Amino acid sequence: MSWIPNIFRRRILYSDLAEEMRLHLEERTEQLMREGMSRKEAELAARRAFGNRTVLEERSRAVWQWPTLESIWADVCYALRQLKNSPGFSITVILSLTLGLGANTTIFTFVNALLLRPPAVADAGHLVEMMQRNAKASGIEAYLPLSYPGYSLLREHNRTLAGFAAFDGDPRPVSWSHNGEGQMVFGQLVSSNFFSVLGVEPVLGRFFKPDEDKLGTSAPAVVISFSFWQHELGGDGSVVGHTLVLNGSSYTVVGVAPPSFTGILIGTKHDFWAPLAMTPTLIHDPDRMGSDTSFWLFGVGRLKPGVLKSEAQADLTVLIRTVHSSDPNAATLDASVFPVQLVPSPFRGYVAAFTGLLMAAVGLVLLIACANAANLVLARATTRRRELAVRSALGASRFRIIRQALTESLMLSMMGGAGGLLLAYWSIPALLSLKPATIPVSIEAPLDWRVFSFAFAASLLSGLAFGMVPALRSTRRDLLPALKDERQLAGPRRSRLRGSIVVAQITICLVLLISASLCVRSLFNARSIDPGFSTHNIAVAQLDPGSLGYTEAQDRQFYRQLLERVRALPGVSSASLSDNLPLGTSRSVHGVHIDGFTPPPGQDSIPIQIANVAPDFFNTMGIPVLNGREFTTQDIHPESTGVIINQAMAMHFWPGRNPIGQHLKEDKQTLEIIGVVKTGKYRSLGEDPLDFMYLPLDSQPQEFLVVRTRASEEAALGEIRRVIQSLDPNIVPMEMESISQYMALPLFAAHTTGVLLAMFGSVALLLATIGLSGVVAYSVSQRTNEIGVRMALGANRLDVVRLILKQGMLLAGIGIVLGLALSFAATRVLAGLLYGIKPGDPLTFGAVSLFLGAVAFLSCYVPARRAASIDPMKSLRAE
Amino acid sequence: MTDSSPRDLFPGALEMMILESLRRQPAHGYALVQHIQHRSNNLLQVEEGSLYPALQRLLKAKLVKAEWGISSTNRRVRTYQITPAGMRHLEDEISSFERMFEGIALVLNPGKSIVN
Repeated sequence: MSWIPNIFRRRILYSDLAEEMRLHLEERTEQLMREGMSRKEAELAARRAFGNRTVLEERSRAVWQWPTLESIWADVCYALRQLKNSPGFSITVILSLTLGLGANTTIFTFVNALLLRPPAVADAGHLVEMMQRNAKASGIEAYLPLSYPGYSLLREHNRTLAGFAAFDGDPRPVSWSHNGEGQMVFGQLVSSNFFSVLGVEPVLGRFFKPDEDKLGTSAPAVVISFSFWQHELGGDGSVVGHTLVLNGSSYTVVGVAPPSFTGILIGTKHDFWAPLAMTPTLIHDPDRMGSDTSFWLFGVGRLKPGVLKSEAQADLTVLIRTVHSSDPNAATLDASVFPVQLVPSPFRGYVAAFTGLLMAAVGLVLLIACANAANLVLARATTRRRELAVRSALGASRFRIIRQALTESLMLSMMGGAGGLLLAYWSIPALLSLKPATIPVSIEAPLDWRVFSFAFAASLLSGLAFGMVPALRSTRRDLLPALKDERQLAGPRRSRLRGSIVVAQITICLVLLISASLCVRSLFNARSIDPGFSTHNIAVAQLDPGSLGYTEAQDRQFYRQLLERVRALPGVSSASLSDNLPLGTSRSVHGVHIDGFTPPPGQDSIPIQIANVAPDFFNTMGIPVLNGREFTTQDIHPESTGVIINQAMAMHFWPGRNPIGQHLKEDKQTLEIIGVVKTGKYRSLGEDPLDFMYLPLDSQPQEFLVVRTRASEEAALGEIRRVIQSLDPNIVPMEMESISQYMALPLFAAHTTGVLLAMFGSVALLLATIGLSGVVAYSVSQRTNEIGVRMALGANRLDVVRLILKQGMLLAGIGIVLGLALSFAATRVLAGLLYGIKPGDPLTFGAVSLFLGAVAFLSCYVPARRAASIDPMKSLRAE
Repeated sequence: MTDSSPRDLFPGALEMMILESLRRQPAHGYALVQHIQHRSNNLLQVEEGSLYPALQRLLKAKLVKAEWGISSTNRRVRTYQITPAGMRHLEDEISSFERMFEGIALVLNPGKSIVN
């Protein structure tokens, strides 16, 4: 690679050369003067003898130049000049590619954020994450976190890990008492060795010591996140040693985590970390640590040198079987060991399927954009035939001309790629805002080097894809007719290629449009699905006084006062409480026994999903009571046996009978049905009717307050916030939202796919329209003579319009037929995402095909009209 | 990359003559031109400047090396010197040139070949 130093040495080489030549001329001049010439004559003679100094100097310099690099640079300059000279062509191609590449870059940024970006830990290759897996179950249901006693046993007795840490999978909302009131912050409970196992270094202070993770320690410690330190504590350099009051107890800040570290799971943005031993004081759950049936910890370990993942898996599986030795089902529990990734293995399949679908959609958009570009480049190559012919007549080799043509295509695709990056930069925040603001999940989607490499590679491939065929085509032909300015009648091969590109565009476009329409219709369907409760004029607040260490009596007192005061607010017609809401993120299931029914195989009771609700719940939520009655205050006592079931459960277990007064057994207690309510949606909007049972809510720390308002929900939420403040300023509602905001979560998947696919579909339609009308317009310009002759021979305007339309619509027709066939196959993938509409919905297929046909007709009609306005005399004279 | 521009001499001839001159003694550009013109009895009328592209090619191929210095006539000159690689290259070139010359001579004077 001698050219590298040469580039730097060149300046010296060139000045040496110039100096040498100057001295040569000087010496010759002096010589000639000694031979008797005058200075003038001598100088002239010396120059004559030397030859053309400029040319010689140039040729001497050329010896040192790196020919390919420099001629590529020349190609680039030439290409830029060419593109500047045809701005219409360049802008169309660049915009097409910007849309195509922008969509791809945007979606890839999310793929990168979710699946490729590694967590900010040291040497992630030797870290493993661990959960228990039930070999009998499948999918996500098979995975189970660890209990604390289980984790302790694994940590003590494993022989394959250099360190084994654990962390609580759920972010814990915690009230931080600050300036006299509570502020909600999120914390994560971790084992004391969490940071050292991950190899993370603090930016300030230190991480946990083992004795800080002992129950009953006298020095409760927390580590705070960099962003919490910066944004909430003003980046105070003396923060270590300060005290934070969290959920009513004091904690000493011992260290600050580095800015890049936000935990090792996607979507988590913790404000602080606390040792596992803080569980009883921080989240007021005294039994969790000792319980071997609450599974809440993810394991993360660092492999000992030379140990394979499979060996660690075998080692941990043996230990897990020991943990569960008393449980007869334990034989089916394995350790599942997987790499430490932001989205852990068990969940990756779902994320990959969803992002893969979106990648496929934007890939199709890019194909259409490339087809557009190819068609435009082909058309332009035809108008540049003379230029190419002149260049090859002057001695440019075919390779050289192809290289020049490819340089132009690559310039276009690179500009499109840069535009695409810009588009991604703008659209990513917009897409992130599709996520309901009330979900406490933060996703970072940075434009990092992976995204840039992807954008570069995609641009390069697109440039080659749409540039190669036209480049090969346009250089393979006789020079002579081009030089003689003979207008070539559009050759059948050429137009066949362009035609098939358009057919492909229409085909892909139809597939995208049909998929998009299905998703949009599904979104509307999902919106109109009756969730079984009212979706307006309800305000929702989630509260947890238990996190402040309230006793049961205090809880009961708090909620009683809260309901009293809220009910008294102006505009409030009713208010109630529930421990979980339908379509929420948490659910609880009770096992019951019903006479005449046997539990499902493998279970000793019939599992029924339940919710505990306070009086007036159904009235407030707008859930119709079909039979019997609601709970009243008389039902709220520990010995209460009344339950309310939904209609689906009534039909399931007591078909054709009056369920009121029927009994079912739960453990030792016999329950009596006192009411039947309308069946709603409980887990997802798309679910089939599900059995559901309501129990009277006595007192639980964590509850949802639901309030029916006559006035606006926003005003009511403000009033409710004031009431809560007046009861205890340290209580921070975890969620405060209107019922329509609450519904954003269950609608999220439908909403996102609907919006994205509709966007991609419109882009595809726009690009395909440009493509089709471009091809038809081009063929009109090529057939001007023919049209002139036809008109001279008596064809009227209508005949001409028909002629042009026939050509365009034939292409569109073939594209639509192929697109329909392909859509039947392609839309099957969507089946799982669609609400209330079948993937092969004939109405959608028909309507979208008709629509695309109409758009195709319009985009042919405009150039056809232009063709009809050709003046036959003019076009013939031009010959 | 071959230099396709027209030259009075066949490609490589000038380089060969330069190397041969330098083998006898190091010289600067002007002296080289004088030497070649003198040795060829002024039969070879090369443009003096065409020496320089050839010298640059030789420099790049590391067949010669150059150094600024002061000549015996007290002039600032850039003196070229043949390298060991240049020596080897020259010998190869001369032998292949001689073979070519022999071939051309045989074709041009068929009678002689029969005698030989």
